[in-house]
Amino acid sequence: MAPGKKGPIFRPGWTLPLLIPVLLLGFWQTACDRSWFESSYLPSPRAIAGSFSSMLLSGELWGHLKVSLTRVLRGFALGAGAGTLLGFSMGLFPRLEKALSLLTGLLRPIPTIAWVPALILWMGIGESSKVTVIAVGSFWPVLLSALQGVRSVHPHYLEVARVLKKNRWTLLTRVILPSALPSLFTGYRVGMGIAWASVVGAELIAASSGIGYLIMYAREVSQPDVMLVGVAAIGLTGLFIDWLLLRAERKLLAWHRGLP
Amino acid sequence: MAPGAPVSAAGLRLKGVFKTYDTAGGPLKALAPVDLKIAPGEFVTLVGESGCGKSTLLRLLAGLEKPTGGEMELDGKILSGTDLSRGMVFQEPRLFPWMTTEQNVAFGCASGTAAEEAAQTVRRHLELVGLSGFEKAYPYQLSGGMQQRAAIARALVARPRVLLLDEPFGALDALTRVRMQQEILRIWRAEKMTMLLVTHDIDEALSLGDRVLVMGPRPGAIRQTLPVKLSRPRDRNGAAFAKLRQKIQAEFF
Repeated sequence: MAPGKKGPIFRPGWTLPLLIPVLLLGFWQTACDRSWFESSYLPSPRAIAGSFSSMLLSGELWGHLKVSLTRVLRGFALGAGAGTLLGFSMGLFPRLEKALSLLTGLLRPIPTIAWVPALILWMGIGESSKVTVIAVGSFWPVLLSALQGVRSVHPHYLEVARVLKKNRWTLLTRVILPSALPSLFTGYRVGMGIAWASVVGAELIAASSGIGYLIMYAREVSQPDVMLVGVAAIGLTGLFIDWLLLRAERKLLAWHRGLP
Repeated sequence: MAPGAPVSAAGLRLKGVFKTYDTAGGPLKALAPVDLKIAPGEFVTLVGESGCGKSTLLRLLAGLEKPTGGEMELDGKILSGTDLSRGMVFQEPRLFPWMTTEQNVAFGCASGTAAEEAAQTVRRHLELVGLSGFEKAYPYQLSGGMQQRAAIARALVARPRVLLLDEPFGALDALTRVRMQQEILRIWRAEKMTMLLVTHDIDEALSLGDRVLVMGPRPGAIRQTLPVKLSRPRDRNGAAFAKLRQKIQAEFF
């Protein structure tokens, strides 16, 4: 808000980010109340919230969420771990980066979901194919951010380590790694977002549990409110995970706040 | 070595050291052959305008760059690459933003220093540069002058026998700069090491050095060597000081 105006309309903090979603929900509810839409196509927010709370209380929603979250955590650990290792290696050894540049350039633009049929063919319909899809999805942003993080270490810092005659291990762990951490964290946040989106995609295609399955099943039995409960659960969980990562970043990278 | 034990200052000798850079427009002579002898414990200042090769000379001495030709000796031993006998303070403090003041200074300790000895050395040097009480502060919480003090402490804990300073106070405001000049003299007396300080500030060069080397550009070469016999602290408004200043200014204007 411009300074000088009297009386703050919006309090800083939660009011402003909440305003537009609340207005949208209000409009949506009104539209449903006045029967502008058929409720079998678009249930009202109140109806969705009712299904949401009853599914939450019965444990059904949490059951599906738990399955999806477990897949995400396993896939992300694999993909982000591999991305971190390979990204750092490529950043440290330019010859390795060059050797892999064509391959990574070719594979990276492939949407994660495009791998699902092939992975089901190779690994079957079980957990491993879904975990692998998530791993592939989170691998790329983490790889790129790790590589970028190592590359962007300021040469000034490297000179300090040279003048002080530090060995390679000290250089890596005390200079390069911490310097790359902010970039790496951005990669983790993007990677986690993609991992969460990938699990739902994989479950939509082939699964017998999980949030994606819940949505698909609700479509088959014509329960649009349950469908949208699933969609809302994805959004809310994604928001919560990102909030957790942001908090971790603030805590771990407190030194980074005062920097330009 | 026990913390606080004096380190013997080392002498430097340069024989025909020069540096040529290969550029797209052909070879660029950054530094014409330099012959120079610096006695152990001497404080030498090197003054010149930007681009005159004075920083190049210092970076060669630090081992950060290789001379195209010539030899550099430290107490008769030929130098190549970096080692802990020569410490360096850069124009920018170059503190690691992810480390506290204490951790940054401790980073200067030689690898393999016992933790307790390192902690003691760090404490002593933080006190020496006047940063006691700021051990846990991060660089962004320190002023420019304080950051440079920490950078000096980091260079000192490695116990170098020669300290090279590349325009260390160039980015500081005028008042802080003068205070830091007094500080570096105090540190020089306390640590009894050889110091070579590069600057573009004639008064700074004259207030600090036992000897002032005046450098000129294209190619960089030492044009004048001026012993400064005045006792410290030097009166910048005195007649003798003004006369020396005039002598140096004549080289530039």
